[in-house]
Amino acid sequence: MTVYDVLVIGGGPGGLAAAISAKKNGADVLLLEREARLGGILKQCIHDGFGLLRFGEKLSGPEYAGRFEDEFHSRSIAYEVQTFVTAILKKKDGFLVRAVNRQGVQEYRTKTLILATGCRERTAKQVAIHGTRPAGIFTAGCAQHFVNLMGQMPAKRCVILGSGDIGLIMARRLTLEGAKVLGVYEVKPEPSGLTRNLIQCLEDYDIPLYLSRTVTRVFGTERLTGVETMRVDEEMRPIPGTKERISCDTLILSVGLIPENEIAEELGVPLDPKTKGPVCDNRFMTMTEGVFSCGNAMHVNDLVDYVSESGEIAGAAAAAYTRADRRLISLKTDDSMLYLVPQRLDLSGGCGGLTLYFRSRESLTEGTLLISVDGREVFRKNYRNLKPPEMERLTLDTSGFGLTEQSGVRLSIVKGGDRV
Amino acid sequence: MKQKQLERKLQKKLRVRFGDAVQVSVEGRIIRVSGSLKRWEDIIEACSMCVIKQPGVHVVNDVVFSGGVRAPMRTPGFTDETLEGRRPDVLVIGGGVSGCSIARELTRWKLDVLLVEKEADLALQASGRNDGEVHPGVDLGRGTVKQQYVRKGNAMFDGICRELDVPFRRCGQYVCFADKMTLPLIRMYAWQRRTVCGVTDTQIISAKELYRREPALRPGFAFALYNPSAGCVCPYGLTIAYGENAAANGAQISLNTAVLGMEVREGRIRSVKTNRGTVHPKLVINAAGVFAEDISAMAGDRFYSIHPRRGTNSILDKKAGSLVKSIASIKLLSGNTAHTKGGGILHTVHHNLLVGPNAAETYEKENFATAQADIDEVFAKQKQTSDGLSERDIITYFTGVRAATFEEDFVIERGRRTRNLIHCAGIQSPGLTTAPAVAVDVAALAVRMLGGEGRVRKNESFQPVRRGIPQVRNLPRRERDRLIKENPDYGVIVCRCEEISRGEILDALKSPVPVFTTDGVKKRVRPGMGRCQGGFCLPLVTQIISEYVGVPAEEVKKSGPDAVISYGRKGAAYDGL
Repeated sequence: MTVYDVLVIGGGPGGLAAAISAKKNGADVLLLEREARLGGILKQCIHDGFGLLRFGEKLSGPEYAGRFEDEFHSRSIAYEVQTFVTAILKKKDGFLVRAVNRQGVQEYRTKTLILATGCRERTAKQVAIHGTRPAGIFTAGCAQHFVNLMGQMPAKRCVILGSGDIGLIMARRLTLEGAKVLGVYEVKPEPSGLTRNLIQCLEDYDIPLYLSRTVTRVFGTERLTGVETMRVDEEMRPIPGTKERISCDTLILSVGLIPENEIAEELGVPLDPKTKGPVCDNRFMTMTEGVFSCGNAMHVNDLVDYVSESGEIAGAAAAAYTRADRRLISLKTDDSMLYLVPQRLDLSGGCGGLTLYFRSRESLTEGTLLISVDGREVFRKNYRNLKPPEMERLTLDTSGFGLTEQSGVRLSIVKGGDRV
Repeated sequence: MKQKQLERKLQKKLRVRFGDAVQVSVEGRIIRVSGSLKRWEDIIEACSMCVIKQPGVHVVNDVVFSGGVRAPMRTPGFTDETLEGRRPDVLVIGGGVSGCSIARELTRWKLDVLLVEKEADLALQASGRNDGEVHPGVDLGRGTVKQQYVRKGNAMFDGICRELDVPFRRCGQYVCFADKMTLPLIRMYAWQRRTVCGVTDTQIISAKELYRREPALRPGFAFALYNPSAGCVCPYGLTIAYGENAAANGAQISLNTAVLGMEVREGRIRSVKTNRGTVHPKLVINAAGVFAEDISAMAGDRFYSIHPRRGTNSILDKKAGSLVKSIASIKLLSGNTAHTKGGGILHTVHHNLLVGPNAAETYEKENFATAQADIDEVFAKQKQTSDGLSERDIITYFTGVRAATFEEDFVIERGRRTRNLIHCAGIQSPGLTTAPAVAVDVAALAVRMLGGEGRVRKNESFQPVRRGIPQVRNLPRRERDRLIKENPDYGVIVCRCEEISRGEILDALKSPVPVFTTDGVKKRVRPGMGRCQGGFCLPLVTQIISEYVGVPAEEVKKSGPDAVISYGRKGAAYDGL
């Protein structure tokens, strides 16, 4: 049986970039995709705005994925579609991956794994919506599948809960297709989507955004007939006496994304409760030797460009992987950050170019990222307009930080700019 | 006169509590409560006050509820003539576990059996909205109809689930006690259950043994009452399996078919009017759940009343499945309502955890809406059973409505005034457990009423074995490989959370009681039951149904005819899975 150097699970933007990068770095690569076509969720993202950072142009999702698919195919990378991984067994010198496809139960051997399994949407029940169980309640991605892939209109009069990006995109999409979007309700006092989407998808189409309001109940026995909304207090608890009933036939939910790490969990890969993705080092190797993570499975990104970048880092590292003891130190953060990726730094292989992704907990017009080693400041950077929905990326040369295995590295964001 | 005496006694009790608002009359074996009350709780209280413990005597609730409007029974929004003029030997009303199991037992005989169900699928009300526990009967006192059947039914589960190819786990039930001082009392109770009530498997186990078996229970329990005969089954899975086996043996199952009225003459039902035509059955079996009283009234044979009682259960992610491997609950010595076991934590046959149910009286028979307060109540209690329980692991929740009589017992008997009628009513917990045993008895009664074995012949070609849809994900590797090579659709995974293949979905559509809705497929093979709740697979399942049936995607419904998923095409072509 062929033993691959790198086996990538998932053929979306993260997996494609990882496979290409691993191949470029000389690895023998196999990619497994569960759907019939490569491209992941980008297949249904027909709006533009993808690739601004990477290509300097606004591409649609399929166009962006297409560029990677072209390169993927030009490098003759082995892949299987409609192939679903059912189990992974750890072996002495790597992994045995079991999968099913139309040909039967397949087994593949590989030295390393890259988990590029993407993320899924939170559901109505996960945000404690009560009432009946009619048709007409969809997650935004599900509605997007109906409209963009099946050409089906799942909505006429529609309320959107959650101001996540897919919800905003769907507000515009459904409006363009003739539906009436009555409003976007956001439980938080601030929107969760990108500013550009707030402008291009809501403001440009006169769709109202209601902050600190949520949907608490749904009505209708067969098809949805209405929803109940309530205002919420600072702790996001519904305020009694603020119930309002809106008649509509559709409720679209855009209430957050969760990295899909069921495979990782079965392998015993530790997850970070903040990102819900694996704890990774600066090469995006998880705490399980030989298992790498990238893209939205590692943490939910706001731009696909970063998904591809993390795939490239993981792919190159997996290609170069040789089993050697890692010298890991933790990158510690405090409450000022929603999360930081990676969570560990491996001192063993040199760590000149460290790529960091983080999100600020608070919206700050001016903020400063401070990095200290054993209480000594080694790096600072000023930011304008830090916002939780907009992820920040930073590359750093840590060679001058004087890091040892005993070093305590801390990262935090403080309010204010240069004067801090 | 005894009757008058009882009437005076009850009237006195009622007057103290409700003044002149309610009256009671004792008419043979019927205790009729009438008058008018504003609060539903008061009606429940008034009727419950009049319950006497005498077999066959029932309270009939004629009290006008002036404080609210009781919605009429929901019926399918269409009529046709599909059943017009049908003359079945037996008409079974209700496609829950009672109706389906009775229909199946009836097909052992050469009888023309027609089962009507008003919903779009089988098991859509109480039979699909319960916790799936196969009860040991330890909580039931002697002398009730349900106690008579619970042990018999429980013992039949291994056999019936093997025949019908339905997953069943005899996982055992632990009722946990924190107070050591209650041990002597519970020992006595266990002894009484074993020797007097026939619940012979009742045992007491030590805390040490309890934690060895269920290490994630909350620390601090002193001992537990244990019944190894308790088990769990998928309640709608069993109901559908019974229905399919009945259909495979010749019964006709007509969904979306509501009984709207009956013509009764000289103590016999002459015809039954449905939205799909009028039928003329020789015998009618009333297994109509919360509507059994309404059916009995149509048949001119109303001698019991149903008071609906809601219960809410939550389903937790399989990741939480290891918390409890069996069925466990805490016994609180106060605050438990008398009529339910008080809920618990149950490890389902699909390896999720099920938490609940609670119990609340309601005047609405078909309000299945959930409320946060129900979830909170259930979790507050069950966190005392296992403190690792977390609301964060909830993937879904649902509410069911129990069809309780005021006597809190089953009514399984032939019509009192109407001669060609059998009641199978008041079926609430443990009605799933008792169903196999009740079905055998009801079928036997039906045969007797149709003239006995002399006139009704055995169905020699009866096939008791049903082959369910293969659960491909659970098959050993070689077996799975072989199956996929036979049918490649078994290798195409459509539902990623539950690992359901296209082949299994197509099997569901080809089954003996096919239901071409996304809920119907979900109930049979589980796409959409997992953590994404159908976010990924709903469009794919819709597409598969649309292609299989040969209708546009917008004609595929979630459940009933009006449960529209999509309003129609907008243009682009689809080339998905």
